[in-house]
Amino acid sequence: MFDEIPVEVGLVHEGERIRRKDMHLEMGGPDVKEKFELVQVRSPEEVQDGAIRVLGPDLGEMKEGGSYPLGILIEISGTKLEENLEGVVERRIHEYSNYIQGLMHLNQRYDIWIRLSKKSFKKGFTSLQLLGKVLIELFKSELPIIERMQVTFLTDAEAIKKPYAMALSTYEARDARARGLTDEEVDSFYGCALCQSFAPTHVCVITPQRYANCGAISWFDGKAAASIDPEGPIFTIAKGSCLDPVKGEYAGVNENACKKSLGEVERIWLYSAFGYPHTSCGCFEGIAFYIPEVEGFGIVHRGFQGLTVNGLPFSTMADSTAGGRQVDGFHGISLEYMRSPKFLIADGGYESIVWLPADIKDKLKPYIPSQIFGSIATEQDAADLDGLRSFLLSREHPVVTRWSEATVNSDAGTLPVLSGGDLPLVTHGVRIILKNARIYADRVIIEPLKKEKQV
Amino acid sequence: MHFAIKELNTSLGKIRDLDISIGRIEEEGWTDPVGPTPFPSLASLRNWDLTLLQRYRPFYMPFCDLCCLCTYGKCDLTGDKRGACGIDMPAQQSRMVLLASSIGAATHLSHARELVDRILERNGHQKPIDVGGHNVEVEAPIIRLVCGIRPRTIGDLEEVLEYLETEVTQLLAATHTGMEANNLDFESKVLHAGMIDQVAMEVADIAQVSAFGFPRADPEAPLVQLGMGTVDQKKPVILVVGHNVLPSIDIIDYLEHNGLSSDVEVTGICCTATDMTRYSPSAKIIGPISWQLRYLRSGIPDVVVMDEQCIRADTLLEAQKMRTPVIATSPKNCAGLPDRSGDGAEEIVADLVAGKASGALILDSVKAAQVAVQTVLEVAPERSHFKVLPSTDMITEKAGECTQCKLCRRSCPNDLAIPDAMKAAAKGKFSLLNEMYDECVGCGRCEHACPQGIPIHSVICAAAQKQIKEETFTVRAGRGAIQDVEIRQVGGPIVLGEIPGVVAFVGCANYPKGGREVAEMCMEFAHRRYIVVTSGCAAMSAAMYRDDEGHTPYEMYPGSFEAGGLLNVGSCVSNAHIAGAAVKIASIFARRNLRANYEEIADYVYNRVGAVGVAWGAMSQKAAAIASGFWRLGIPVVVGPHGSKYRRMLLGRADKKEDWSVFDARSGERVYVGPVPEHLFVAAETKEEAAVMVAKLCMRPNDTSKGRAIKLNHYIDLHKRYMGTLPSDIPLLVRTVADIPLTMKSDVLNILRESGWSEHSIPDPTLLSSQIREKKGVR
Repeated sequence: MFDEIPVEVGLVHEGERIRRKDMHLEMGGPDVKEKFELVQVRSPEEVQDGAIRVLGPDLGEMKEGGSYPLGILIEISGTKLEENLEGVVERRIHEYSNYIQGLMHLNQRYDIWIRLSKKSFKKGFTSLQLLGKVLIELFKSELPIIERMQVTFLTDAEAIKKPYAMALSTYEARDARARGLTDEEVDSFYGCALCQSFAPTHVCVITPQRYANCGAISWFDGKAAASIDPEGPIFTIAKGSCLDPVKGEYAGVNENACKKSLGEVERIWLYSAFGYPHTSCGCFEGIAFYIPEVEGFGIVHRGFQGLTVNGLPFSTMADSTAGGRQVDGFHGISLEYMRSPKFLIADGGYESIVWLPADIKDKLKPYIPSQIFGSIATEQDAADLDGLRSFLLSREHPVVTRWSEATVNSDAGTLPVLSGGDLPLVTHGVRIILKNARIYADRVIIEPLKKEKQV
Repeated sequence: MHFAIKELNTSLGKIRDLDISIGRIEEEGWTDPVGPTPFPSLASLRNWDLTLLQRYRPFYMPFCDLCCLCTYGKCDLTGDKRGACGIDMPAQQSRMVLLASSIGAATHLSHARELVDRILERNGHQKPIDVGGHNVEVEAPIIRLVCGIRPRTIGDLEEVLEYLETEVTQLLAATHTGMEANNLDFESKVLHAGMIDQVAMEVADIAQVSAFGFPRADPEAPLVQLGMGTVDQKKPVILVVGHNVLPSIDIIDYLEHNGLSSDVEVTGICCTATDMTRYSPSAKIIGPISWQLRYLRSGIPDVVVMDEQCIRADTLLEAQKMRTPVIATSPKNCAGLPDRSGDGAEEIVADLVAGKASGALILDSVKAAQVAVQTVLEVAPERSHFKVLPSTDMITEKAGECTQCKLCRRSCPNDLAIPDAMKAAAKGKFSLLNEMYDECVGCGRCEHACPQGIPIHSVICAAAQKQIKEETFTVRAGRGAIQDVEIRQVGGPIVLGEIPGVVAFVGCANYPKGGREVAEMCMEFAHRRYIVVTSGCAAMSAAMYRDDEGHTPYEMYPGSFEAGGLLNVGSCVSNAHIAGAAVKIASIFARRNLRANYEEIADYVYNRVGAVGVAWGAMSQKAAAIASGFWRLGIPVVVGPHGSKYRRMLLGRADKKEDWSVFDARSGERVYVGPVPEHLFVAAETKEEAAVMVAKLCMRPNDTSKGRAIKLNHYIDLHKRYMGTLPSDIPLLVRTVADIPLTMKSDVLNILRESGWSEHSIPDPTLLSSQIREKKGVR
């Protein structure tokens, strides 16, 4: 396939790292301010198929050991292509350029960094034309919806300025559009059957506002994959009529679930962890776990070491969650879903989140309503349920109001009279162990006993 | 649950109007239902075995044409002949495999028994099992799977051991004359022996990890030193050789209690070495089994302590030549030494130091440790003159005695060109001898063949002195189990096809061309972002390499269970964690019930988990048992050329389309899935052949298209690189166009077009009709 390319092109080179001492030159990266890669969908007449242009010095003209600006502008056209897919196509530049032996591509968008090895330069990889050829060949064979494609490399400090500014504004507009897209606005969701190969009753539904549990597939990715390979593992789900806008129940989603799970899963509520929650495969990034004692949810992600606030580590709860089942109160999620306004909205959204590892709480700050942010505990605030209760009380977390509604007559704030790790009660042949028992009494009377007579 | 007590008199005080609410009542047990085969006996899983053996028929390569087990014999079994008892060649070959596997299983089991008994004696029955803290929920996947129990304490393991001991006895009984008659039934029992072996190994390793503070499923277990060059010869040096870590632990403890830790070098060979570095990272590993002779003859060890398994039977003789006292510590390996267990330590030390006794059997490891340390402190200063390097004159002189009769070469298992090297060495050119050092397995057979009595092995080592000094490597100490969390972490990448497979390098050091090939294969696959797991001698060989920057493979790749990771799980008995990881994939992704549910889980692993074992230097009966345990779980094993001496392979027939159908669990239909994995047990002649085979055997019927594409990519790429051609079976392995690797699309499409290939579907695969799923009211 790549007879004209002087170095190998193949998957085996994907993980290659090129250290500074082995590098012939680099483009983009930390030493260069202006760098970008951008895919734009154009009308067919605007794209000269197969054209590769280099504006500025080419690899052979660059200084050894040098560092240069780099813009990669890929313009494509095709009858089935739409602007929505630009981001998905763009992210493949990283994957495809890394197939080239001796070429390292890092990051994406305005953050790209390419290094070329001395060895590959010596072997004849001396022009960006070659990179362009590889990209065009791979894109067109893998994504047949791309009918025409041209590539422009910008390596000149002046020439790159305008396109760079254009790229930045494009990213911004694209992000705003993606964030703003709601489940109500679209006609189709996407389903992914990949995890069914390990958990056969798992039914994955990907919507604009609910990312796949694995965190790897957005609605846009789904759309791209389904239009590129309609027979493939990612397929279109006709949304059908909305049966419940709050819980997120759609006729089309239910119908698909029933079919794909062979009747095991009949209904799905997209935005709830109770009743008919979205199934949890094996590769979810995090778990929303219900804590009945405080009537709220804790969240734990895979990377969290140690015990969560309910005394269980991720691994134990994952065991209760996984397997393509619908488990009340143990709900597999992606971290991206936590950025969605629909995040567990049927159960109260962030108002019902009571505990989050500090690490992800920090990252999610912009997405958590500011009035609630300070009321959500982390492992630093509460290590157990007692600590959590007092934290939530002191911060007036919204769940606290539910407690008083439900337990009108009890005084939730009192201290336990007796609390023990394990409290065994033994009766006829049965031992009952009360774990983390705490006994609250209305009134405690302490009076000295008369000493019994010693015999 | 809610209950109230009006008045309660307790020693604590009087409680009135006590109101108790309980959120949840949990049975202090295990709620998973018990599957169909708890504690399976000889024939419980026979149907599963025969299902596998139907696809992978034994292909016999008789190592010996005769049977000489009873007094009717010897019986010639060639052709269609039957022996005096009526047995034919296939049954006899499989019988020998069963015998070997049973020996292997018995060995691990006896090792496990000894560890458990000792822990029970010292720590009591209630010592909890802890293999990985919070990150490991499924603490004993194989025990759960096979026995259907969940052990919480070391005491709970006794029930498991009793079961295993019964099974090994039954297995051995089946090899008696006039017992089993059919070759496939012998093979089914081989698989049973393998499964029993896996359980025994798991018992042994979880017991020692829990009791001795070994790394607990730790991806960042410390890097420890490996190689003869790492030994500080100025200090007294103890060598511990074998597999059972107990004497080593007592030696390390004794040194520490007496403030001697930094005064004495504790070195080890074989799995004892691996396990003692899990106990104390300052202990040193010399190398795998092939280093026994050369290390003893170097004179470096001042005292030898033997425990059990894979110890050369001439250790005492060799040690005597170097005046190195030997302490035997296992009732399974008394080596003809007098039992001094009842004597006082000082008395034994005095005899050893004075040379009155060349060794002692001490069946009390604490006493043995004390004797070893006290002896080494006294004899080391006297023994310094034994550590002198042999001169080049000696090499020339010995080589000059060679008559070029070539008997050495004929006796060499690897057909090394010893006579040529001798001829050159006689003229003062040592390069050929030197090169041979790397490929020599250290068996010493050449010396016994030599009519001139030339100490050939010593001559080879003498020529390699410089190399030996440069044997300074690092290996990651055995980490133990794979965390549940790690398994979940790789879930996505495996499903999405980013991880093409899990490759486990296990077993002994009977390599065709030296251990370096193991390191090269490990790096090849880690570089390709497979998950690479090592154990036992293979884990050591994988360390014996340095790149341009001086890094060993364990420094180059992370120690976690992830794409591109290189993990040393530990010693032989740690192999159970490799099978355990495969089993945990079933329990963690699919939430399949493990409990006493062997058949379903094996079917899951076989059809879905792209794991392959490589025993490049498989030598022992234990290695035979370990491999059998992988087969029953549906995990293929590739061995080096010496592995063909295990008498038979289990080969699939890619050309027989009818062999390769499965049930689609969704529809119940039988569906063709192609020959994946093609073989269950296969020998490769060269490292290159092995690498290509491993890449191929990682394919499974359930591969997603992305996964298959990446697996095919590596298979085709390796085939092109190593064989120079495209593999001929590409059309059998591509199911749909989406399976074709992106960068090979046009080439592969051409091949498919020419072969008349047609697309076929990807089912939800199972070999078991019981796994066909019921359809519930599908609209």
